[in-house]
Amino acid sequence: MIHGEQLTKVYGMGSVEVRALDGVDIEIAKGEFVGVMGASGSGKSTLLHMLGLLDRPTGGALVIDGVDVTRLSEADRERFRLRRLGYVFQDYALVPELTAQENVYLPSKVRGMTAKECILACGSILEQVGLKDRAGFLPGELSGGEQQRVAIARALVNRPALLLADEPCANLDSRNSVLILDLIRALNRELAQTVVMVSHEDWHRKYFDRVLFLRDGRIVEDEYAGDAPGTA
Amino acid sequence: MLEDEQVALFLAARLIARGNKGTLLLTVTILAMVFVNLIFLPSIIAGVVVLFNQQTIDYSYGNLIVEPKEGELRIADPAQLVQKINGIPGVVASTPRYATGGTVVYRGESTSPLVTAIDPDREREVLKIHTKVLSGDYLSPADTGEILVGETLAGTSRPGGDSTPTLGGVTVGRTVDLTLPNGVTRQFRVKGILKAGTSSVDSAVFITRRDAASMLGQADPANAVLVRTETTGNDDAMRLVLMQFGVQEKIWTWEDKSADFLESIVGSFGIINAISTGVSLVIAVVVIFIVIFIGIVYRRKQIGILRAIGIGRSIIIKSYLFQALFICTCGTLAGGALLLAVLQFLAGNPIVFPGGPVAPSLEPGLVVQSVASLYAASLIAGYLPSWLTTREEILDAIRG
Repeated sequence: MIHGEQLTKVYGMGSVEVRALDGVDIEIAKGEFVGVMGASGSGKSTLLHMLGLLDRPTGGALVIDGVDVTRLSEADRERFRLRRLGYVFQDYALVPELTAQENVYLPSKVRGMTAKECILACGSILEQVGLKDRAGFLPGELSGGEQQRVAIARALVNRPALLLADEPCANLDSRNSVLILDLIRALNRELAQTVVMVSHEDWHRKYFDRVLFLRDGRIVEDEYAGDAPGTA
Repeated sequence: MLEDEQVALFLAARLIARGNKGTLLLTVTILAMVFVNLIFLPSIIAGVVVLFNQQTIDYSYGNLIVEPKEGELRIADPAQLVQKINGIPGVVASTPRYATGGTVVYRGESTSPLVTAIDPDREREVLKIHTKVLSGDYLSPADTGEILVGETLAGTSRPGGDSTPTLGGVTVGRTVDLTLPNGVTRQFRVKGILKAGTSSVDSAVFITRRDAASMLGQADPANAVLVRTETTGNDDAMRLVLMQFGVQEKIWTWEDKSADFLESIVGSFGIINAISTGVSLVIAVVVIFIVIFIGIVYRRKQIGILRAIGIGRSIIIKSYLFQALFICTCGTLAGGALLLAVLQFLAGNPIVFPGGPVAPSLEPGLVVQSVASLYAASLIAGYLPSWLTTREEILDAIRG
């Protein structure tokens, strides 16, 4: 699913060079739920941005879902993000003027689905995240946990090859964090959804199939963790 | 491609419908004001030009002016000419005049105004000076030794009250001395004071042609015949008609006679108008730009996120263009309604200029031009900030 070789990202800060990623090799298989962990400044967000095509590597090769994404034009990257990637941000990042349903079906609409198809797809995914009865609510009328579930539904509505989550529980209390992590884990298991999630909470490790530890822009540890509670 | 527009429209509609109503109302109000400003002043200016034109016809020239043949100073047989002209289809009436210089003296105050000798009854059918008698009475055909004096020329008895040479406040019933260029002087009783708002009346004196004939020692003196036609606007055509009916004298239209004056007025007003329109348009662009720019800066992070989830730049830009067009349409409609209300008010309470009440003249071309300008401004103001913002790196936008 993901194959990265010697990925580097260098930021020039005056005369000082900062290597946010320093030759990362990464291999993630389809259906894996991978956690990316590490201290602040270790490069975990930079890696996620590379995988999410929000940033370009300074060097190295990156193939996602069989496509060499480093060679894509800006327009093709835009299309790739829309059709093959789903992104969940830590602050939900919903459009406040759109209802939960409208937020979810916006990417489908851009893909050219009819209104009927959008509503069907949206209804199904909202049901999966347990928000079917909240479809007509605006983000401001939903709790933080509900908003993040809407964001997850939005990320999954186009059935992406890869779901990327950037500290999705950072703004949630522990109860809602568990709900979100359970949901992502369940989607990963039921839909064989490949997930890469950045986290700095140690207790999240139990949800991941595998954890990549980064330090100073390098993967220093790649270990398989235990299954999530209640799953085999 | 149409799918992009549909999504952009969907986004724009939701952002407008569920966005800040106060900001929307304020923006629409400002645009409505700009729209009124774009149209109102030019309409007033057009109204003033219409007024000047009408004054020229009603108080100075009529529609056509017949003057002596080339090389002649007087019309040979004015009575016959008037009779001939009055028989031409499309002509309402005509009147002979004799205009000359002269000196009028009253209590030591001496001025040299234009002296116009008229046939009072015929004048009534061609011009409207008889409706502008400020005090006293208009001339009668049988009058001798009676004179009409323009208000400006009559002046005031208050020291320093007049900025031009006047008769120092002559009033109805007083006697003035009139001397014509041939040196003949005669006393005239002021029968009326005229005020028409045009210098050809307010700074002139009028006597009967009978008196002029007597003073000049000429029978039937006339150096112009003014003609009133049934309709205004086809004056060039009527000039040809008069020529076809055998009028051999020189024929001018009122526009020919007042061309320099009108060009000067229209030119001056045109400059004022262009400045006003330019400033209004700049205000429109700046207002729409500020409103949309603030909106975009406020949503910078959201725009970055939309791009991150795969919503294309063009969709985002178009959604802001649709918003700008919507605001512009509302502003134009509100401005149109406001303008109609103002015009309605002015119909009942006209602005009074020196020449009379001015009705704003709404020209369809001006309305179309103003609407088009406002839409162009809106498109520019909607496009530029959204294009600039969507150009930046997604991560920079997301980080705010």
